[in-house]
Amino acid sequence: MNLSYRIYYVFLRNLISYKRFIIPTFVVSLGQPLFYLVTFGLGMGAYMGHFGGKPYLHFLVPGVLISSVMMAATFECLYGTFVKIVHEHLYDSLVATPVSAEDAVAGDIAWASFRGLISGTLMLIIAMALGVLPASWTALPALVLLMIFTGLLFASLAMIVTSVAPNFDFFSYYTELIITPMFFFSGVFFPLDRFPAWMQTFAQFLPLTHAVALSRALFAGEISSALLIHIAALCALGTVAFVVGIKRMKKRLIT
Amino acid sequence: MDSVISADRLTKKYGELTAVDAISFSINEGECFGFLGPNGAGKTTTVRMIHCVSPISEGSVSVFGQAAGINNRAIKKITGVIPQEITLDNDLTVYENLMVFARFFDIPRSEAKERVAGLLAFVELEHKRNSRIGQLSTGMKRRILIARALLNNPRLIIADEPTTGLDPQARHLIWQRLRSLKKQGVTLILTTQYMEEAEQLCDRIVVMYQGRILKEGVPQRLVQDEIGREVVEIRASEEGDAGLLATLSPLYTGHERAGDTLYLYCTDSHALMERMLSLNLPNVLHRPATLEDVFLKLTGRSLIE
Repeated sequence: MNLSYRIYYVFLRNLISYKRFIIPTFVVSLGQPLFYLVTFGLGMGAYMGHFGGKPYLHFLVPGVLISSVMMAATFECLYGTFVKIVHEHLYDSLVATPVSAEDAVAGDIAWASFRGLISGTLMLIIAMALGVLPASWTALPALVLLMIFTGLLFASLAMIVTSVAPNFDFFSYYTELIITPMFFFSGVFFPLDRFPAWMQTFAQFLPLTHAVALSRALFAGEISSALLIHIAALCALGTVAFVVGIKRMKKRLIT
Repeated sequence: MDSVISADRLTKKYGELTAVDAISFSINEGECFGFLGPNGAGKTTTVRMIHCVSPISEGSVSVFGQAAGINNRAIKKITGVIPQEITLDNDLTVYENLMVFARFFDIPRSEAKERVAGLLAFVELEHKRNSRIGQLSTGMKRRILIARALLNNPRLIIADEPTTGLDPQARHLIWQRLRSLKKQGVTLILTTQYMEEAEQLCDRIVVMYQGRILKEGVPQRLVQDEIGREVVEIRASEEGDAGLLATLSPLYTGHERAGDTLYLYCTDSHALMERMLSLNLPNVLHRPATLEDVFLKLTGRSLIE
């Protein structure tokens, strides 16, 4: 793969254009997760009572936070990248410079991850205002790292989808049939251990499951070697998705 | 003159389709070299292979001593591309567009600022510095594309149909700018469907059709050799052709029929026109031969789909 430091230039281009969209994107990326926190966390949480010794909101926050990272990164590499390729032909002019197609795609993935990090951080601030805090200050950098990595993973997965998408409508298949169900099968809203065995096994194949497990451990302060399996799963999935996403997209860009 | 770009049996295949079919050509330093052809002739695909954004299927092309497909970054560093489509960044202002693009070439910020200011003056758009791209006319956008293509002080400029869709004023301004670049010693590759554009700008051209090169040469010489100096167009139905051609022979050097028009080619139309006046033909047009005649003769006067 022909990757270079020029990834940063592509990231920078996105950052400069972002300053005009910053307010609308804040609203969009906060809207849905906030809705979950209020309805499920405060509304349903009132009926659920305590959950593992703490209010339900404490269970919910780590999952919703990491899901908002997933959503932001996913949408950026679906719609954002698609517009840049098809409607604005931005990639065409990029690849005519010393920036390679791989640099351009990786730059967009890095950017999407950053967007995920912003969403997650906003959620974190709100959660902290609601009294839900990470276990310790030392858990904070780990949480940031987890958000960045989760963003890279889902941005790369979205890039694979975008590389074969003929139009916008195609993205609904991915968001409605994969992303939304994953939201409910990955232990965001309730623990997986009440699921039937086959569903628990199925959940282990969903990348979000591992991200949620790690996020929750960082909030609860339950760090153990059992988490290594989740880290390994995320790393493996992330690497494969990144490489495949870049290769597929290059095929679409360079013809 | 030194040849700086040379293609050897350059070929591009998309599955079963051969878009560029083993063409060879060479381009000298400082000249303007034109690829002419109808839509789908393979012009754009050829230049895309030269500036390394389309992988070569077979054959090779070298650009300033670097092999395309191998030393891509090196070639892109010294090449400026004026694309066919408007590929400006709609989310950014004119100034930001150029500054961001300068970064892609590793141009330091302070130097980029100077170059951007100079180039905005060159394309006469200093007053649009802080406009968003959406607020510009098509002609202005094309001029920004030219400025953008010059950011890296290229030795080679590739202009892919740079005036498509422009009004005459904007077109002439772009031609002037391209000519002044040539004067500075830049090598220029142009693709176009407009014969006038090729005559205005190109030192040498190739006529492409269905992925092959049909003819190569200096525009005026091509017109001379293929057509002659003048063309007489006669709008009349085809039935009379045989009789008419017999009557007018040997005053013309070639003829062609397309739709409702009979084209007669000649070097000196004086005698021919006299004869025609005596025949009292109604719809006759007499004009100098142009590259367009060469083009239509070579690629056929019927519509190409």
